[in-house]
Formats: sequence, C-alpha cells, structure tokens
Amino acid sequence: MRKVVIQRLGGALVQVLAVTLFAWLLFFVIARFTGASPAQRIAGKTATASQVAEVARLYGLDKPYWEQYLIFLNHLIHGNFGFSYVQQRPVSAILWPATRATASLVLGAAAIWLAVAAPIGAWGGLHPRSAGDVAGRAVAILGMSIPVFWLAPMMSYFFGYQPTQGRILGLPLLPRGTTLFPIVGYVNFGQNPVEWAYHLILPWITLAIGFAAIYIRFIRTLTAEQLAEDYTRTAMAKGASTRRVLVRHVGRNVAPTVTVLLGADIATALTGVFFVETVFAIPGIGYTGLSAIQNLDYPVITGVIIVAALIAVLANTIVDLLHAALDPRLRRVGGG
Amino acid sequence: MTSSMQSIELDAGQSGGRPAGMRATALRRLRRDPVALGAAGLLVILILAALVGGPLAAHLTGHAPDQQFPSALARDSQPLGLMQRTYLANGATHDPHGSLFILGSDALGRDVLVRVLYGARISLLVATSATALAVLLGITLGLLAGYFGGWIDAVVNRLTETAMAFPNLLLAVGLAVVVGPGLLNVVIIIALFTWYYPARIVRSTTIATRQMTFVAAARTVGARPRRILFVHLLPQVWGPLLVYATSIIANNIIFEAGLSYLGVGVPPPTASWGQMLSDAVTSGMYQTDITLALAPGLALVLTMLAFNLLGDGLRDALDPRGR
Repeated sequence: MRKVVIQRLGGALVQVLAVTLFAWLLFFVIARFTGASPAQRIAGKTATASQVAEVARLYGLDKPYWEQYLIFLNHLIHGNFGFSYVQQRPVSAILWPATRATASLVLGAAAIWLAVAAPIGAWGGLHPRSAGDVAGRAVAILGMSIPVFWLAPMMSYFFGYQPTQGRILGLPLLPRGTTLFPIVGYVNFGQNPVEWAYHLILPWITLAIGFAAIYIRFIRTLTAEQLAEDYTRTAMAKGASTRRVLVRHVGRNVAPTVTVLLGADIATALTGVFFVETVFAIPGIGYTGLSAIQNLDYPVITGVIIVAALIAVLANTIVDLLHAALDPRLRRVGGG
Repeated sequence: MTSSMQSIELDAGQSGGRPAGMRATALRRLRRDPVALGAAGLLVILILAALVGGPLAAHLTGHAPDQQFPSALARDSQPLGLMQRTYLANGATHDPHGSLFILGSDALGRDVLVRVLYGARISLLVATSATALAVLLGITLGLLAGYFGGWIDAVVNRLTETAMAFPNLLLAVGLAVVVGPGLLNVVIIIALFTWYYPARIVRSTTIATRQMTFVAAARTVGARPRRILFVHLLPQVWGPLLVYATSIIANNIIFEAGLSYLGVGVPPPTASWGQMLSDAVTSGMYQTDITLALAPGLALVLTMLAFNLLGDGLRDALDPRGR
C-alpha cells in the first residue's frame, strides 16, 4: 500500500510540475506572439526603454529563463500567484474565493448526477431491455447529446426568466413577476446555506445532466458485467435478495471503478463550469478565467490554469488512492 | 466535453483481434438495427443539408447567409419571429429580396434558417478534419507505443496522462487567443486536444494484438517491424477506431461550437452554430426571441444525437461477444 501511495504521489508531482511549466511558458508564448516582452507588457505600451528595463529588473525578468521558472515555482509554493494589474489585487486573493464557488458547483453537481444515475443504471443492468432500461438509455443518449453551453441558457430561460413573465414552459400559469429560481448570482455557503443552495439549484442541474447521462451508461454496463459473473449467480442461488446482491456484491465491485471515473470527470466538469458560471454569473474559476482572457489579464490566466490543473490532478490522485483502498487487489503489488 | 469517451475506453482492447468475417457480421447486425439506421439516415440528411441545403435555401428565400436586411428588423430593431415577413417601407407590396423569413431573423437582420444550414457546413467541416488529424496523430503514436513498448510507451503514456490532466477548454481558449481566430487554427487546436483518445485506443488494441499468433508467425518468417505495423496491426485497429471516431466527431462538433461560443472559433460573419448561440445569449436577445437560441441549439442536439446513436449501433455491431 505504501508503495502505491508513493508512486501515485510521485506521478502527481510530475504532472503538477508539467502543468506549472506549461502555464509559465504560456506567458512567454503569448508575449512572443503579441510581439511584446513580458516586461514591456507589464510596463505598458507607452513605457520608455528605461522604464521597461526597470520593470524587468524589478520582476526578475532579466534573469535566465530557468532561474525565472524556479523563482516562479518558489512563489507558487508560498501561495504567491503574482499580481493582477487589471484588477489591482494579488491573484491569490482573486483565485481563492473563485475556487470555493467552483468547488460548490462541481461537488454539488457530482452528488446530483451520482444520485440520479446509480438507481437508473443499476435498474438497466438488472433488467436489460425492460421498459425502464430502454427509457433510461434513451434519456441517457439524449442527455449526452445536449451541449452544456446550450442547456445553461435554456434552463435559465425556462426556469428563471419565463416565470418572471408569468409563464412556465411557455404556458401562462403563473402570476407575473414570479421568481421560481434566481437567474443570476451567488451566495457564500458561510453567509446563508439555504440561499447558497437555492442559487445553485439550476447551475447544479445544468452541469449534472450531461454527466448523469454518461454515468447511467457506465453503471448499467458495469452492473450487467458483474451480474454475469459466477459469484453473483452463486449469491442469487444461495437465496440472497436482489437488494443484498446489488449492494453487497455488485456494489462493492462497481464502486471502485465509478470512483476512478469520478476523479477524471471532476476534471472534465471544469470545462462545463465555464459555460454554467458565465450564464448564471457565478464568480468561480471559469467565470474568472474567461473574463481574464477577455481582459488579457495574464497573471490571472496563468493562475486559473494552474488551479484548474491542480484540482484535476488532486481529484485524480485522491480517487486513485481511494481506488486502492476500495479494491484490495491493488494494495499488494505496485499496480494501479 | 470529452467525458463520453470514457465509456468506450472501458471496452477498449476487448474488441481487438476480431476473427475473420467479422466485417460481414457487423454489417448484417447494423442492417437489423433500426435505431442505428435511423441515425445514419439523419446523418445523411445532415450532410445533404450542409452540402446543398444551404445554397438551396439561400436561392429559394433570396437571402445569402451573411446578408443583412434592415427591413428584417422592426422599428424598435427587434428581429423577426417565426414565419414573419419583412417590414416594407412606403407601402411597397413586393420585396425584391423575398420577404419571408421562415425561422425569423437575427439581431443584424440575417436569415436564421439559411445561417443554420450554412452552420452545418462549418460544424461538419471542422469536426471531421480535426478528427482526421487527431486520428492520424493517435494512430502513429498509439501503434509505436503499443508495438515497441519500453521508453516510447512510457513517453507516450506520460504525454497522454498529462494532456488529459489539463483543463483542455481553458488551454484551448488561451491558445486560440494567442494564435488568433481562423478555420485552420481551430482545426489544429481541436486536434491538439483530442489526439490522445485515439492514441489510447490504438495502443491498447495493438498490445492485445501484438501477442497473437499471427503476429508471432509474421515475425518468425522475417517480417520487419514496419511491415508488421502497417500490414498486420493497422487493419486490426480500424474496428474500435471507427466506433471511436463517431464519438470524437460528435465531441469535436461540440468543441468547435464551444470555441465559437466563446468567440475564439471560426471568425464572424461566417455562420456557425456556436457563434449564433453566443450572439443570441450574450446579447440577451434570446429572452425576447427564443428561436435565436433554439434553432442553432436544436441543430447541435440533433447532430450529436445522430453521431451518438450511430456510434452505439456500430459498437454493438462490432462487439465480438455478440448479442
């Protein structure tokens, strides 16, 4: 077990280094393509040559590249992500609340998509080709085919905007000015948990639908595979109830795989977060990253890339370790 | 945007090394699958819509895709709704441009129907060429990694793992900002962020096939690695890859639309579904005229549905475990 953990953590460290190197390089790539040195970029277009040189000296931009990278890494380790010239604030002060908002969005959505997909998928695996299975699969393939950047404005329109016009799903059933769900805005959990959840319901559902669809298919396939195994047949033959077989036998074998997929999908969900956060105006890292790209706020862009990649690497690492803990076969040799 | 890939990855490698005659079996199975046939039919319609539908609609309505009609905006500069006609000034009864806007007009007075049909071209063109590029890259790296193993495999593996760990849309957007908008740039960027899916599939199929007797036999009679790779291993890869390609195309359609939605895709005024959606949503215009968001959105959903259903049908048909 210890060997697995060390191996996995080593791999994660390499990934983090690669990500930071890439994010750091991007700054220089952007600078080269836009025809200005980083120092020139910070100092501004109207700066004189001596001012640019002064900025270069101040930020260590006159040092060799490898040394600059090490300094950059050293700053990162101390939580210093640089300074946003556009917002006139340290990048870490921008990223920290944003990361919390995004975590609220993604983790809540993950809970929803698992809660929806597990029963539908298990039912489909248990009763293949039954009416419920066919319906579940149809819903799944439809859910997979709806792009989140279309779903987000549609949800906002039909459940946020239209009720304020006195209509629900196009039918004039509500009094004008009804607020069914808030269209935009975000409330911190610490401030008011009820408002926090209320503001996040539509974004959660929006983000969860596509993943629920995929997980219905995953869980259906995995359940059907396990049910075809001899051990489940033995358990059934011994007279164990379907419920017991599903939870004690199938569940135990399906859970590790689903956990691993979940790790990868938390990272994938960060893509959907962009669109969901912009449409519902949630000040998360997607929203922050996009506005930074629009404002060409490079320290924030770099910071967002690093934070997003860190979340992805962290989610994958935690999940792999959890996988090793859930699946006894992986504990022995250096598998995984 | 990419996670439906994983469902196929679960099956990867299992379908390697199909027995001979599998192709005929697969075709027979596919012909008996009404859902897959329907999806294929939908795709044919879509391709026709892209190739001839756009010009045909432009000819019949008299509206070019990028042409702006001031008469297609009301006095308060609201766009036309479904099946509405242009507002003719000074009592004229005949509009030389054709007055009917079947799906209405957008905020700039352009014909939504004609633009949706032309948008299909961009979607299919970008998605298929990006997929072709990604598959080419993936086959090369996957074959090399799977066959030779050792350090090549280790390098390719680390490369795919790191590439997958990145939040790829954010990087793609960043890259797109750097290289600037353009059709070719979009294709290259999308391929750059999708090659690892085919690479993984090809790698696992190659590893599964490499150990089979016919490859050992080829090696015994003195076949060189290059011959084994191209003559013996490559043909085995197509089956799983075909299933994959449909998923990748579907994902790339979303990818392109997503980039265009964020304003870094195919540059305006070229009609693309993502751009149309973004125009409707960011201006808030879709709240007064939902057709502006529904038309390109439903086009996207139908296209995705067709590719996903066809992919499912292909996977079932190629499944060696049968049905």
